[in-house]
Amino acid sequence: MIKNGIRVVIARLGMDAHWRGSIVVARALRDAGMEVIYLGNQMPENIVEAAIQEDADIIGLSTLSGNHMILAPEVVRILREKNMNNTMVILGGTIPPDDIPKLKQAGIAEVFGPGTSLKKIVDFVSGSN
Amino acid sequence: MSKLFKNDTIEELREKEDQWQKEFYPTEKDQQFFKTLSGIPIEPLYTPKDIADMDYLRDLGFPGDEPFIRGVYPSMYRGQSWTLRQLAGFGPPEETNKRYKFLLEQGATGINGVFDYPTLRGYDSTDPHAYADAGRGGVAIDTLEDMRILFHGIPIEKISTSLVTCQPICNISIQSMYIANAQNRGVPLNELTGTSQNDFLMETAITIAPEVLPPKASFKLSCDAIEYCAKHVPRWNPISFAGYNYREAGCSATQEVAFVLANAIACTEELIKRGLDVDSFAPRLSFFFSAHSDFFEEIAKYRAARRIWYRIMKERFKAKDTRSLALRFHVQTAGVSLTAQQPLNNTARAAYQALSAVLGGAQSIHVDAYDEALCTPTELSSLTALRTQQILQQETRVTNTVDPLGGSYFVESLTNQLGDRIVALLEEIDEMGGIVKAVEKGWIHKEISNEAYAYQRAIESGEMSIVGVNCYKIENEKLPVELFDVPETLQIQEKKIKKIKKERNSLQAQRALDDIARCCDEDKNLMEVIVDSVKAYITEGEISKTLKMSYGTWNPPVF
Repeated sequence: MIKNGIRVVIARLGMDAHWRGSIVVARALRDAGMEVIYLGNQMPENIVEAAIQEDADIIGLSTLSGNHMILAPEVVRILREKNMNNTMVILGGTIPPDDIPKLKQAGIAEVFGPGTSLKKIVDFVSGSN
Repeated sequence: MSKLFKNDTIEELREKEDQWQKEFYPTEKDQQFFKTLSGIPIEPLYTPKDIADMDYLRDLGFPGDEPFIRGVYPSMYRGQSWTLRQLAGFGPPEETNKRYKFLLEQGATGINGVFDYPTLRGYDSTDPHAYADAGRGGVAIDTLEDMRILFHGIPIEKISTSLVTCQPICNISIQSMYIANAQNRGVPLNELTGTSQNDFLMETAITIAPEVLPPKASFKLSCDAIEYCAKHVPRWNPISFAGYNYREAGCSATQEVAFVLANAIACTEELIKRGLDVDSFAPRLSFFFSAHSDFFEEIAKYRAARRIWYRIMKERFKAKDTRSLALRFHVQTAGVSLTAQQPLNNTARAAYQALSAVLGGAQSIHVDAYDEALCTPTELSSLTALRTQQILQQETRVTNTVDPLGGSYFVESLTNQLGDRIVALLEEIDEMGGIVKAVEKGWIHKEISNEAYAYQRAIESGEMSIVGVNCYKIENEKLPVELFDVPETLQIQEKKIKKIKKERNSLQAQRALDDIARCCDEDKNLMEVIVDSVKAYITEGEISKTLKMSYGTWNPPVF
């Protein structure tokens, strides 16, 4: 069962402006009954700021440029700095498999690479998986 | 009249075919399972009755002649191969220059230069938004000095260069730097050959971010470059309507072609409004399409696009020059079809896709590398992609005759059906007031987003098979390829920008930026002033900021 009222902030990390993945995921989450706030491209500071304002349960980051090792941990760091300890950060995009353990160590809750099904993401976000 | 079949023949066939159909396909239940990727239903068999209305001279004709459906040149690949134009770009220009030279040494016949994300969006490497993306996805270019380094030792007077300057805000600076660099090297502008992408949809609908230029401003910049080239760089293709990218964002084959043609119509109308004769610029309007996985639909798409463009140019714009009527295009195999799973499979995918481009009559091709769903291509994967093209070119003999599928009952019928759908969509956009309006009101964004979502759901329901992703999966697969690491970029670019800003004549630099601002106010052609301005070593970011100060910014309505 999907918990009602899960609030998700979706953002594209950094400069690359391809939006297909992030929008498709945003739509799937919305169709699953969640509140989705789509920010488009933003830097870590702004993403966290939006998450605070929106009282987000989850931040979903999307990137394909290869900037994930720099910017994704940055989002987690700033979030913790602001004591947003209950907000989970997840990441999707072209992430080389070797980077996944490092990202998890940096506090990213889950990483969804190319080919991940929407169902898997929705299940994870809704907490049923 | 040169009808393909006599009415009697068709009648006779119809009877026979009905009998055959009754015997072997008694029900229609299987029909719904066979359709193209864009949703056109596919029959079990095609016969003359499916193209019974076609007239050879009116609808097919000869290659190099109206309506150009069979190819834009009389001899096609017998006379000259398509250009092997492999994309390259990463890190600082010093590194990409080496990759360009490597590909040329290995037999590439053109340069296809891709720029990093900050450059594509008009930011300097040192911008606070850019530090994590400098050198990623392409080469970092900040000033004319970077452009000099990028093409150092490459004969730009002989080799054609495609600048993948997707967004007009990027193109207006980067193409200006390319031209200024050519002038500095003493290459006459009328000898310069190449293409720039320069498509306003890329800035406002396809790859979008908050605070981009408003659609009208971006469209203006795009038209400024076309006008400038028509007057000063006659062999340059100043725009490449980027249907490929539209497709990557989610478009169907129908939308891909309809949206690029709508864009080309808008540009043509604008340039005519500026007082140019259609034949002075239309021969240099060029197109860029995707080669996706539906083999025959893609072939039909290229052929249909040529015939529709011919009719638009001939009937709507009264173009007379044959070159204005002929739609020339570059193809890239579909990045979105690549899988991170079992990446070597991508070589097979890209090869089939490239074959469809050749059978569809492409002028130039990039084949994707097998590792592109994972990282920037390595030297090995880039080379394998180039070799895929060379195998197609040298071994398969598909180039022996022109338009080998012309006259195929199936391909012609599919070409007609796809064509009808494209024309219907074009009419819809016309009724809306054209492509700029369709972007401003967010209609394009919605259309693409819906299609992208439907595509993903088709994969998840299993309606669409993707090998390695939703079938023939390998659990806990160990990656069989080495991944590419982007070389250090930011520090190198930072050092150069610092040095340049210190050494440049600051009065001249300020004057250059003032000139650009004034040009915006006076609504003059910006390309003319920016080609001169970049010689004062102002940065791309400085130019973009000046433009955004004048035109304001816009947040595309995508969600």
